[in-house]
Amino acid sequence: MPATFLASYPRSAERYDEMLEAPERPRSHWQAMFRQLAATPPERLREQVLEIERQVRENGVTYNVYADPQGSDRPWDLDLLPQILPAQEWAQLEAAVCQRAALLDRILADAYGEQRLVAEGMLPPALIHGNGAFLRPCHGFRPAGSTYLHIYAADLARSPDGRWWVLADRTQAPSGAGYALENRLAVSRAFPGLFRDLRVQPLAPFFATLRDSLAQQAPGGAGAPRMVLLTPGPYNETYYEHALLARHLGFPLVEGHDLTVRDGCVWLKTLSGLERVHAVLRRLDDDFCDPVELRADSALGVPGLAEAARRGNVLVANALGSNLLESGALLGFLPGICARLMGEPLKMPSIATWWCGQPDALEQTIERLDRLVIKPAFPQLRMEVVFGEDLTDSGRAALVAAMRAHPGNYIAQELVRLSQAPVWDRHGERRLKAGGIGLRVYACATPGGYVAMPGGLTRVAAGADVRVVSMQRGGASKDTWVLGGGSAGGSRPVRPAVGPAGLVRSSHNLSSRVAENLLWYGRYCERCDNLARLLRVGLSALIDETASRAPAPWPAMLALLGRCGIAVPPADGEREDLEAALRRAFADPRHGGLAMSMRQLFRVAFQIRERMSIDNWRALNRMTQSLARWETTAPSLAEMLAELDGATAALMTLAGFALDGMTRDQGWRFLSMGRRIERLQFLGATLACGTAQPAGADLDWLLELADSIVTYRSRYTARPQWLPLLDLLLRDESNPRSVAFQLLGVHDYLVRLAESYGPCGAEALRPLIDDMAALDPRTDLDPASPRLRRFLDRLTAESFAVAERVTQRFFSHVGEIEAHVLAP
Amino acid sequence: MTDRPPPDARVPLRLAVIHETLYRYAAPVLQSRQLLHLTPRALPHQRVVTHRIRIEPAPAEQGEGDDFFGNRIVRALIGAPHRALEIHAASVVDVGPRGDPQDLRTPPDLARLRAALAAPADAATLEAARFAFESPHVPFDPAVRTYAAPSFAGRAPLPEALADLSRRIHRDFEFDPAATTVATPLAEVIALRRGVCQDFAHLMIGCVRAQGLAARYVSGYLLTAPPPGQARLIGSDASHAWVAVYCPGADGQGAHWLEFDPTNDCRAGTGHVTLGWGRDFSDVTPTRGVLLGGGTQTLEVRVTVTPAPDQATAGYAAGT
Repeated sequence: MPATFLASYPRSAERYDEMLEAPERPRSHWQAMFRQLAATPPERLREQVLEIERQVRENGVTYNVYADPQGSDRPWDLDLLPQILPAQEWAQLEAAVCQRAALLDRILADAYGEQRLVAEGMLPPALIHGNGAFLRPCHGFRPAGSTYLHIYAADLARSPDGRWWVLADRTQAPSGAGYALENRLAVSRAFPGLFRDLRVQPLAPFFATLRDSLAQQAPGGAGAPRMVLLTPGPYNETYYEHALLARHLGFPLVEGHDLTVRDGCVWLKTLSGLERVHAVLRRLDDDFCDPVELRADSALGVPGLAEAARRGNVLVANALGSNLLESGALLGFLPGICARLMGEPLKMPSIATWWCGQPDALEQTIERLDRLVIKPAFPQLRMEVVFGEDLTDSGRAALVAAMRAHPGNYIAQELVRLSQAPVWDRHGERRLKAGGIGLRVYACATPGGYVAMPGGLTRVAAGADVRVVSMQRGGASKDTWVLGGGSAGGSRPVRPAVGPAGLVRSSHNLSSRVAENLLWYGRYCERCDNLARLLRVGLSALIDETASRAPAPWPAMLALLGRCGIAVPPADGEREDLEAALRRAFADPRHGGLAMSMRQLFRVAFQIRERMSIDNWRALNRMTQSLARWETTAPSLAEMLAELDGATAALMTLAGFALDGMTRDQGWRFLSMGRRIERLQFLGATLACGTAQPAGADLDWLLELADSIVTYRSRYTARPQWLPLLDLLLRDESNPRSVAFQLLGVHDYLVRLAESYGPCGAEALRPLIDDMAALDPRTDLDPASPRLRRFLDRLTAESFAVAERVTQRFFSHVGEIEAHVLAP
Repeated sequence: MTDRPPPDARVPLRLAVIHETLYRYAAPVLQSRQLLHLTPRALPHQRVVTHRIRIEPAPAEQGEGDDFFGNRIVRALIGAPHRALEIHAASVVDVGPRGDPQDLRTPPDLARLRAALAAPADAATLEAARFAFESPHVPFDPAVRTYAAPSFAGRAPLPEALADLSRRIHRDFEFDPAATTVATPLAEVIALRRGVCQDFAHLMIGCVRAQGLAARYVSGYLLTAPPPGQARLIGSDASHAWVAVYCPGADGQGAHWLEFDPTNDCRAGTGHVTLGWGRDFSDVTPTRGVLLGGGTQTLEVRVTVTPAPDQATAGYAAGT
């Protein structure tokens, strides 16, 4: 055995070891992995680790640690080594988790129905009526599909004797299944052969099962039900996962504002009107879902959603109010309830837990405080978890006083010594460290009962504190491999195959918010491209010391920078001023410029993530991360130029994705129109500043900005002159960088959009198009022509006016704030 | 203000209630969704003779239902843009005396009542247990517990302890509509020693719950016209709120809810019209709305309670 691996791997008699059964002897289900590690050259292992890191980074797998609009996304921390579970052991976990899901579903049905468990003394009334998560407006009706718990997760831990225990139940909107999927993609690539040989059970079928089961249970009769994933928005800590799941499930990712309730039904606001929604898979907390009946101050919810659910017109998964069971106080009562409701014992015990609302439990807890963990009894109580063994005398006295004053708000749990698993030490040489782990296992409701996802999210405790696993506290994660066994993963409903009548040619469900984000995505892509080119010509001019241009181009460049929203010195610019302005625009996201636009691009792209291919996203992510490096390190001029070359190429790639990888639907038209409008604005500003230069000024930079230098040179061998230049940049309809191309394009998109949505104001562009046609090459393609000047002024004004008209026409009510009012 | 309940608070009354709510908005409201708790509840001592709710502009959708506590609610969606919203609720109700508190000759043993609420064995106690815990406007607060303690320190029977508590709140707190809003937390009311009927009801509920007992918030109206020669009661021209405390007989029989009005230090009488009840204001907010648009707004609420004209009400004059 390769002892070098284990040189720094600790052994502990107090903890179960997931990998070793005796010193240097791996458990049988670990032997293949062990041999693989031993046989792999160290460089290759290092590459694999780097490859995983690269994938995580480029796929943009992040976990928002706290809501920070500046983007505090933390890269997802994923270990090279998976957690491995043999088939037989998994079968036990699966049975236990599915049983528990079924039990909790029945408890929810009771709590929101007859409440027999309280009446029969199986459950203290405080756990319902004193639980802030009990939503009274959700009492008294069966939800659509009669299921409360569509997706459930159990947090498991293993005690030193090797037994698994349930630490907590996730019944509201369990997070992490998407991250598990992402972990699988990265880690299975690192060990492709092993992954195949061990017949690791795939995760994807679980999500198909979830989608099919929701579809089967959704109300709505004929036709495919429309299902959406409701997210609180990009500032939520697991937004990345929401976007990922939406894409994986094929559901539109929506925020509360995208939905509305009419006639007791839920509708998606699309550009072509309201489209009925039959199922809402939500990642929004219960009480935020409906400001009319639930938390009045929620700005994230859908007013009227509770009523729509009550009428059975929409399936909400999980049912509103399911947070009720994320109460640790419940754990101690589950064995009795399981026997009562299911007629069988609980297959996996919960970690020993006492609800201090029971007088005996309170006294015993206080007596044994040193050996217990004290937690809030109800999910909405915000209090820190306290380890009794950490308490000082005064801290202990304060806690005991607080518990005596309001015992019902506390639970006490046995302290678990988490099992340990090997963690690849990225900084050491072929070494394994040990980390405490917890396993989150998922189950979903199907018409034939609950089905578990074969695998899960294994979380590794951060640092030395092996008592808590928490992504919020900076823990890492592992892929979870369930090795091939007899079970094929339970019954799976089969979706009917698509027939010729079911063929879909366009996606009608373009929500107004998505359309607006697509428009802005197009605009920011183009804005970044424009700025990158502008910075590049500016830098080139700075570097090109030998140029003997008679009138220096700085003043015109500075004027153009100013028009692009970059702070420039007010007086006639000098070389130093230009360099300072360029540096600011390059790297400082607080000022207008490339760094800021890049952030805005990233943010808006993030909002439409579920509509982008993974390759598109990677290209974008790589570009923004590369530029962001320079926020902290001052680059040389050459480094800036190299970075700008890279950015320009990356932006071309993004444009290529839009051109070649997107269906020509209305969403694509908004994106493309955004590009055209932005380019029109930039061209207008470029020509206005360029033509204001003194006679004899250099014109090359104008052609470079408009990416038309190659075309120009192929047509005219001479140095740039105004007449051919203006013809190429203004009137040439075949030049994708000309004013004519943009104007006609925007006009055409508006005409096409009008086919779906009615008049869009295309005709308002006509006068300007006519003006352009009327420009006489003999007299007007000259900076001195008054007619040209008038045209350029109108072009600038109209390029902004058309943007405003589109916003007014399509998006004036998007993001309108909802207010709540109470009157006595 | 008076320290005494009206001497004839047990005389059956027919009362007419008009509750008008008027919002004016600086900008058009594109859509408004309202949830109304404005329908008087039918009760053994209260009969709803007529009741009508009119909403202007007319809602695109309107429906009725019962909430968790059995109160009648109206839901409305106003879909057309509007700059003003008027909700007009008019009711005529007959109010008789509540179950005679004098009947409660054998008050409950407090320890046994607490134990019963923690593990309810009968329907009445199960129902009461809904009102024994924290709620949004009545969070657990040590200051409330401390304030309540003196009233429960002796061995006084529960009705007397509650009467003492009501008396102390009335004595220690000043009625001051300017001091608090619907959002003022209970802790601040205790610090200020000022508030309105809602605040006093929440305080008394908190005191009772701190004792491990059950108390509910009763939303309603109070007949404001005083008998000749007596002071005007607070609660005029506004909705009113008081408290009901679960107080069964010692034998466990009789689901008595004793109603105290700490704002006026009296028991609820025939002048107290019940709209409904919940754990606190948040469960029975008379009008609750979510708007799209609207900008800044002004709110005007007018409540008028008068003896109905066809009722012989000797001793009561019509309200202003």
